[in-house]
Amino acid sequence: MTIEDFIDKFAFAIEVDTNTLAPDTHFKTLPSWDSLNTLAVIAMADADYGVTVTGRDIEAATTVADMWAVVSSKCVATE
Amino acid sequence: MNAITGVALRAVAAATPARVVRTADYTYLNPDERRRFQKATGISERRIVAAGQCASDLCLTAAKAVLEHLGWDPASIGALILITQTGDQPVPATSIVLQDKLRLPQSCLAFDINLGCSSYPYGLAVVGSMIRTLGIARALLLVGDVSSRVCAEHDKSAWPLFGDAGSATALELDENAPPIHVDLCSDGAGKDAIIIPGGGLASRLPPVDGHLVDATGSDGVQRHAGNLVLRGADIFSFAISRVPGSIQRAMSASGRAAQDFDFLLLHQANKMINDTIARKLGFAPDRVPTSIEHYGNTSSASIPVTLCANAELFAMPRWVVASGFGVGLSWGSATFQLPAASVLPCIASDDVY
Repeated sequence: MTIEDFIDKFAFAIEVDTNTLAPDTHFKTLPSWDSLNTLAVIAMADADYGVTVTGRDIEAATTVADMWAVVSSKCVATE
Repeated sequence: MNAITGVALRAVAAATPARVVRTADYTYLNPDERRRFQKATGISERRIVAAGQCASDLCLTAAKAVLEHLGWDPASIGALILITQTGDQPVPATSIVLQDKLRLPQSCLAFDINLGCSSYPYGLAVVGSMIRTLGIARALLLVGDVSSRVCAEHDKSAWPLFGDAGSATALELDENAPPIHVDLCSDGAGKDAIIIPGGGLASRLPPVDGHLVDATGSDGVQRHAGNLVLRGADIFSFAISRVPGSIQRAMSASGRAAQDFDFLLLHQANKMINDTIARKLGFAPDRVPTSIEHYGNTSSASIPVTLCANAELFAMPRWVVASGFGVGLSWGSATFQLPAASVLPCIASDDVY
């Protein structure tokens, strides 16, 4: 469970090259970002980490690292 | 919840408008957005009513089909329940108008229920319980919506998702029928996830004879207060986190495990949601029939539409677990047996009654 691994999964979910993402990437400013990506991120968090991310969690996040903080803290909470 | 015993499902029919509207032709999304939309939702086309056709018309077409299929005299029907969120008018209840249009007897009880995507398990519970406790011999459960009539066409978050459909399920008192088990849930704290904010008294808006004015929502989409607002991400996380548990509870109440059911029938909101739920419950894709590709999200009617769109799978008796989830938030699951050849193929009809 590392942020690098999370970035790979995040990139795959939203169909961008993993090299275009870094922890400090403002993912909602990506040209291809839209509401379908929101669903893809929720699905990825469920399938790969077994946690439920909400629409509000994604609204509140700015960077990929913010999303990783949400997912990793939910993983700890469910352990 | 207790089982509903001694009530048999006899026939299921679904009717959709004939007109096909394709995702590929939706100009408010660019070609790449359309491709991604289709991949995520699974929707390539939908059936949309022309102005003038109502949910009641589609349900009536389906009701006629089940009556004819079973050879039932309309005079033998003791209950007609319609579940819809797109009735003909605010008052009176559309089901009562349908009692007359279907020439059902005046001894037939009729009322509407206001539910959406969770309608089918709720409907089976309500109609099954009434048949059983009131000793009603035969009943019709009608479930349908014309969601296209309440969505703004330029609203990318809602318009390309919904198809229109109506359905009819015939149920009968039968001491030998296998039990129906249900699990029914509600969470009003999620009311804003799918809402038509105007038109009711709580909106504090002018009554309907005032002009409806467009306003821009927090998502940047222009709508008027009579339009449906859908927050897809909230629905998505609700569905994948809370629906599997409901299905599990209905299955364990029935004393059957996932492998004992022939098919899992899910509300057709989104392919990603349903793939996730099926995976969590251990149902392989070949045991999860779909209709979303050709009919879209048909709201309350989605489970009967999915049955009818796959009618060939139901030539023999089948055990089914079905789950509906969405607007409310409201969700529920039901386990039941469908007798051989009780599912009629989808009917395309533009009939208006």
